[in-house]
Amino acid sequence: MKKNSYHLRFTLNGEAKSLDIEPGISTLELIRDVLELKGTKEGCGIGECGACTIVVDGRAVNACLMFAAQLDGRDVLTVEGLSREEDLHPIQQSFSEQHAVQCGFCTPGILMSTHALLEENPQPNRHEIIKAVAGNLCRCTGYQSIIAGIENAADKCRNDKNKD
Amino acid sequence: MIDVDYIRPQTLPEALAFLSENAMDTTILAGGTDVMVDLRTGELNCRYLLDVGRLPELRQIEINEGELFIGAGITITEIGQSEIIGRYAPALQTAADKFAGRQVRNIATIGGNVAHCSPCGDTIPPLLIHDAGAMVVNHEGQRIVPIEEMAGGPYHCTLRPNELITHFLLKPKPEAVGFADFQKIGRRKELAIARMSMAAMIGQESDRSISFIRFALGSCTPTPHRFRDIENYLFGKIPAERLLWEAGHILSEVMLEITGRRPSAIYKEPAIQGLFVRMMYPLIL
Repeated sequence: MKKNSYHLRFTLNGEAKSLDIEPGISTLELIRDVLELKGTKEGCGIGECGACTIVVDGRAVNACLMFAAQLDGRDVLTVEGLSREEDLHPIQQSFSEQHAVQCGFCTPGILMSTHALLEENPQPNRHEIIKAVAGNLCRCTGYQSIIAGIENAADKCRNDKNKD
Repeated sequence: MIDVDYIRPQTLPEALAFLSENAMDTTILAGGTDVMVDLRTGELNCRYLLDVGRLPELRQIEINEGELFIGAGITITEIGQSEIIGRYAPALQTAADKFAGRQVRNIATIGGNVAHCSPCGDTIPPLLIHDAGAMVVNHEGQRIVPIEEMAGGPYHCTLRPNELITHFLLKPKPEAVGFADFQKIGRRKELAIARMSMAAMIGQESDRSISFIRFALGSCTPTPHRFRDIENYLFGKIPAERLLWEAGHILSEVMLEITGRRPSAIYKEPAIQGLFVRMMYPLIL
């Protein structure tokens, strides 16, 4: 059987990627199965749960709803790229401190939605936070601790920026 | 595994040339949020995916000679952020704000939402109240298709396979219009697909009588429509609570005439009336 191919070039977590892919695969399949970054999760597969949220050109998107080929020329950030060092990213640290993680399956997606929100709006109010993560479902912690984690992360990120 | 080829033309003529040869085997892709799901469930089968989402001709928002142009490749997020749309098509902006979740709004496009022809497409009722048309092109020429004629039924697009929507043409909100809104009911507040949706644009005289009205309903009928019975009923009248309940009642009656009395009617009949009154209530305050 003939296998189709598409040559994809994009930036993943700051690193240039150039590879041949099967044109029908989703961005989620590319990230998890081809590039073997397992931080991004597959939940519903139809864009409802947000577990597969990644950041493309600064905006949160569902990796399950994008064809990998659509990433061509784009800048992609997954949870693996959040912190470049050994330490946790301030968002991750805040989630840990506020107990915003229980089973952890939704966490990578919520971290990425939070990252996109704070890049766009470093001082979100509660309503803006709720709106930004409305596309991320969590079935165990309840949302209060997650919102607290995001509020705390916003403070941390602002303080870090002020230090720079 | 989905066995397709992905093609991203650099120019509109290139896209149209490809369609003229391969239309029957091609699915047009902009954001991909619907195409991906339909391909994976097997509802859609095709040989080629033609990605038109980055074509510059599909990426403009502008006012030109008294008409509002919105490119088919404009994302729902971009509609939500556009000052021009906020000013000239505020109900469309409200709908964009309530559309799915942020991750979907960031890639889904207005062209895809319209061409997918879901009865619940959130952008459709707001387009209807602006008497919008879609500029549709193929390799031979172009034509304008009124939004009301885009869907022949649920998920059935009347466009020819070799045709592509480049942009939408809307009549901007008239100066006299002081009220514009979009409301919907879903299973939950955020993210859910609309069970019913409605958009309206209303202007009033100094005595508060209604001098301009456009009203459209989505999700409740096989294709979204303007409800001219409601527009005619309210035109010239001064809004009052009783009048709104009566108009809401007429709306539910007309809706049931179209759909027949299905099991959901017992919920939809009062809900549609309630949503109508809730949306229109600012008119009487």
